[in-house]
Amino acid sequence: MRGARLVSRRLLGVVPVLAIVIVGTFFLLEASSGDAVDAYLVSTGGDRGLADQLRRDWGLDRSAWARLALFVSSLARFDLGWSVAFSRPVVEVVLERLPNTLLLMGTAIALAFGAGSILGIVAANRPGSAVDRALSLGSLAIYAIPGFWLGLVLIVVFAVQLRLLPSGGIETIASGKQGLERAGDIARHLVLPVAALGMVYLALYLRMMRAGMIETWRHDFVRAALARGLPRRQVVWRHIARNALLPLVTMLGLQAASMLGGSVVIESVFAVPGLGRLAHEAVAQRDTPLLLGVILVGAVVVIAANLAVDLLYAWLDPRVGAGPETAA
Amino acid sequence: MKTLHEIVKSHDAIHRRTLLSSAAALAASAVVGQAAFAQTPRRGGRLVVAADSEPRNINPAIVASNGVFHVSSKIVEPLAEAAFGTPDGLAPRLALSWAGSADGLSATFRLRPNVTWHDGKPFTSADVAFSALEIWKKLQNLGRVVFKDLAAVDTPDLLTAVFRFSRPTPFQLIRNALPALTAVVPKHVYEGTDIGANRANAAPVGTGPFRFAETKPGEYTRLVRNPAYWAAGQPHLDEIVFRVLPDRAAAAGALEAGEVHLAAFSQVPLADLPRIGSVRGLSVVTKGYEALTYQLIVEINHRRPELADVRVRRAIAHAIDRDFVVKTVFLGYATASDSPVPKYDGQFHAPGLNAPGFDVARANALLDEAGYRRAAGGTRFKLRLLPAPFFNETRQFGAYLRQALAAIGIEAELVNNDAAAHLKAVYTDHAFDLSVGSPVYRGDPAISTTILAQGGLPAGVPFANQGGYQSAEMDALIARAAGMLDEKARTGLYHEFQRKVLADVPFVNVAEWGFTSVASSRLRNVDTNPRWAVSNWADVWLDA
Amino acid sequence: MSALRRFAGSPDGVVGAGLLLSFAIVAVFAPVAYPEDPLSIVGGPLVRPFVDWSTPLGTDRLGRDLLAGLLHGARTSMLVGLFAALVAILLGAAVGVAAGLSGGWIDESLMRITEAFQTVPGFLLALAFISVVGPSLPMVVFAIALGAWTGPARVVRAEVLSIRERDFVAAARVIGMHPVEIAWREVLPHALPPVVSLASVIVAGAILTEAALSFLGLGDPNRVTWGGLIAEGRTVLRSAPYLSIVPGLALLSTVLAVHLTGEGIVAALAGRRSFQ
Repeated sequence: MRGARLVSRRLLGVVPVLAIVIVGTFFLLEASSGDAVDAYLVSTGGDRGLADQLRRDWGLDRSAWARLALFVSSLARFDLGWSVAFSRPVVEVVLERLPNTLLLMGTAIALAFGAGSILGIVAANRPGSAVDRALSLGSLAIYAIPGFWLGLVLIVVFAVQLRLLPSGGIETIASGKQGLERAGDIARHLVLPVAALGMVYLALYLRMMRAGMIETWRHDFVRAALARGLPRRQVVWRHIARNALLPLVTMLGLQAASMLGGSVVIESVFAVPGLGRLAHEAVAQRDTPLLLGVILVGAVVVIAANLAVDLLYAWLDPRVGAGPETAA
Repeated sequence: MKTLHEIVKSHDAIHRRTLLSSAAALAASAVVGQAAFAQTPRRGGRLVVAADSEPRNINPAIVASNGVFHVSSKIVEPLAEAAFGTPDGLAPRLALSWAGSADGLSATFRLRPNVTWHDGKPFTSADVAFSALEIWKKLQNLGRVVFKDLAAVDTPDLLTAVFRFSRPTPFQLIRNALPALTAVVPKHVYEGTDIGANRANAAPVGTGPFRFAETKPGEYTRLVRNPAYWAAGQPHLDEIVFRVLPDRAAAAGALEAGEVHLAAFSQVPLADLPRIGSVRGLSVVTKGYEALTYQLIVEINHRRPELADVRVRRAIAHAIDRDFVVKTVFLGYATASDSPVPKYDGQFHAPGLNAPGFDVARANALLDEAGYRRAAGGTRFKLRLLPAPFFNETRQFGAYLRQALAAIGIEAELVNNDAAAHLKAVYTDHAFDLSVGSPVYRGDPAISTTILAQGGLPAGVPFANQGGYQSAEMDALIARAAGMLDEKARTGLYHEFQRKVLADVPFVNVAEWGFTSVASSRLRNVDTNPRWAVSNWADVWLDA
Repeated sequence: MSALRRFAGSPDGVVGAGLLLSFAIVAVFAPVAYPEDPLSIVGGPLVRPFVDWSTPLGTDRLGRDLLAGLLHGARTSMLVGLFAALVAILLGAAVGVAAGLSGGWIDESLMRITEAFQTVPGFLLALAFISVVGPSLPMVVFAIALGAWTGPARVVRAEVLSIRERDFVAAARVIGMHPVEIAWREVLPHALPPVVSLASVIVAGAILTEAALSFLGLGDPNRVTWGGLIAEGRTVLRSAPYLSIVPGLALLSTVLAVHLTGEGIVAALAGRRSFQ
């Protein structure tokens, strides 16, 4: 019941948020120097007549307000408009890339969350021990490596030197593979980009989990549980870890947006046709409807992720009500 | 075989490069080209090529640019292609012969018989007429200039096309434009449709050795063999896949991992070439780009009072150490320029030019003379410098130029725009003082370099004179050359044009460069014509 | 004072602060050690480290001294980190205080805006913003802050909400203090500490974001930053690995130092969580 209320309340709140996002993004790109025709002429050149003709054909001769109105009115019909950069409907272009990004982000988040929290528990088991030091410093080091550099090093080591994994792409080109074989092929292609994207978050979760665990140790209910003679292992996993997991779950929702940003770089390095790279292309091509499409779809993903996180949170911690103060 | 590839395996690239660009090497290649037939080409195999971008419209009849040609030249063919060692530097493709009338009002093309489109329909003169009148003349970025006076195309029979011009048009220009401007597309696919929005622009139908198979945006474009290709026994390859690799550092990795056979257009950074050339199974190829020369130039905004003074512009020309630029920015894979026509173009490059040499003292003296004395900090005045973001080398040269200008007391602030913003800032808004440009030389000054000096162009025409340089004398010279029918006289006018550019310094030519390919050593015939990367690859094959 | 003592008692914090201090000294004295423009071409291209002692760490693709770049890069990279964090926190604190104190529709709309910013990936926002205004260092700083202010805003607002009803605020209201004065004198000092612990994350993130922007060719070409050096060095990762590894190590130790210092501050502020 509470879940349903939370969902409906959330969905209502989403409308003004998306409106701000659309108008903000639209005018940001409008304010930029150069439009879609300039971006197009970069690769072709052309005379003045050509530029004017293209602006007319692409509807860029109309005012910004007229174009925004056009976009919003078509959006009301669940139509994301036309991408001039791809000469295709935006919705097609975006939906084609969405699964790749969801796969990449989902796997990276799941692995980072799983491995990060477990390693965090290990590190917090004996704070200050050699294992803890190694894990803490190691995670910091990984956190401090720029993603694109890590990605290139992974390519050099695993694709070029060891020839264990493909250097990029989402699957083998026109391989004709089907079913499980294809899934395996995609999985092989995902290993390196997931590692490059997820490492940073693994480090983050590890550190949070460790901090949370250490803090929770100090709480009365832990002492009480130990005093009652419960085995240490049981206290660690059932009482402390569950408690320490709460802030991580909150973080999970916040990370969805930041990871989508990080995938811009990782998708470029590993040539993964995903949303992040598409967003970069949309900016470079000054393709406003396409960028709006990517950001809208991204926003929906982020909002859905947060909703899922809130539900998960409510389930993990019965004290939490469905108030608006939970993570956005 | 290896001699054919001109493998650059040492750091001694400068020496190699000069050797390559010399006429001797070009003549020798024709001989070597025949020797290649000694080894029987292997049939079959998939060639995977790295591509750093994916143009939305790959119809070369509409978009004449190398990025489009890279993919589309295998599918759609021009009337003639550039060639090594032939009289006018051309080899027949869809046309077997060509001739212009003495009055410059017509040009006749005899077409190749027994050619069919990929959809099985026959290729005829009607296709040429339709492409010329409806697409090249009306829609194509370059054709709108060259074919602007094309009034009609007569088709007396199925294999003859006669171009009729309303005003005399030099046949020399038409001939030089054949490889890049005359891709022929099927009339039956385009007639009666909105040509710009035709779906065939993304999935072209042509006569070439390969057919368009499929494209997956962001991943690859796949072409397959055309079994009905007009050249018997060709193509050798079964498939060509253009794989999208946006990051150049990653492209080198894909080559080394054996996932990609070829990275053309210098996708592998120059600094990485000595290393990658020594990797077993990979070769660096510098031949095959002679007719795809790019020019590194400094565009100047004459609206700035300082830069309106020819002495200041000359000082800037003297401040640039061209040999250093070639050696450092291009690591030897370029040639220093002395004129707006590249040295490789023996047809038009003027002999005995007196280009401004590297001379900092002279540059300083010129600036003093112009009245721009150094202030207390050593600075004379400040400028905005906009390097084009199109190549690593244009940006790196921008960084060098900033230093070179500092040496003569000009403080330049670099402005790093992305491509669209650069185009707008320089060619529409004129919001620059100096800009580093990279115009492509297309084998004839009329379609490449004169537009950089021509006055009276409206704002918004990209890659043209937007610096506000205006000279009635220069404009008259350009107009006369454009309409001059006699080849010798026309060439002479372009020699004069070059001298005029050196005298007025509307812009500064710094260097000219072709590209490099990194190719799998299994890949054969990777440099068989001067536009190799954008030619049809019918003779390319993969060794076992 | 007890906070300071607690900070001194945490070995992490002391090591981090020490490291940071030494980097700060390097940053401050870089122009003294290398008065030349670090972008000037001083040698041949791609000279390896420890070969020519006039350029001890070697030169880059154009023959620019890597050591000079590294030292000057310390300056710009740390400035980017600090200012981005400062702008983000000031902006966030202003929004958070305004929302928390006013409540009602102002709170509601400010929070919707905050949410809108949180739904758009910060990096994407920075990317689009830089493409629009062009890459200069102040704009890069602002672009990064644009994606980072929401965290502080939410934290400050939550703190303000919890402080608002406490006695000293109520007392201030009773004696007729202006709401802005209450915010400034009574609420902000209490709401800021948890935000300061966010700062270390923002500083480190800002330095890394600047690197990613440089990777996409959106760095300021008139300044040397570590991120820019790494991004440029990556194209010759195999031929000249030192060009990206050396600044990478510098970046790594700075981020490490910032984090350790942050840890120390958190320990000093006792019991506050470092992440929100």
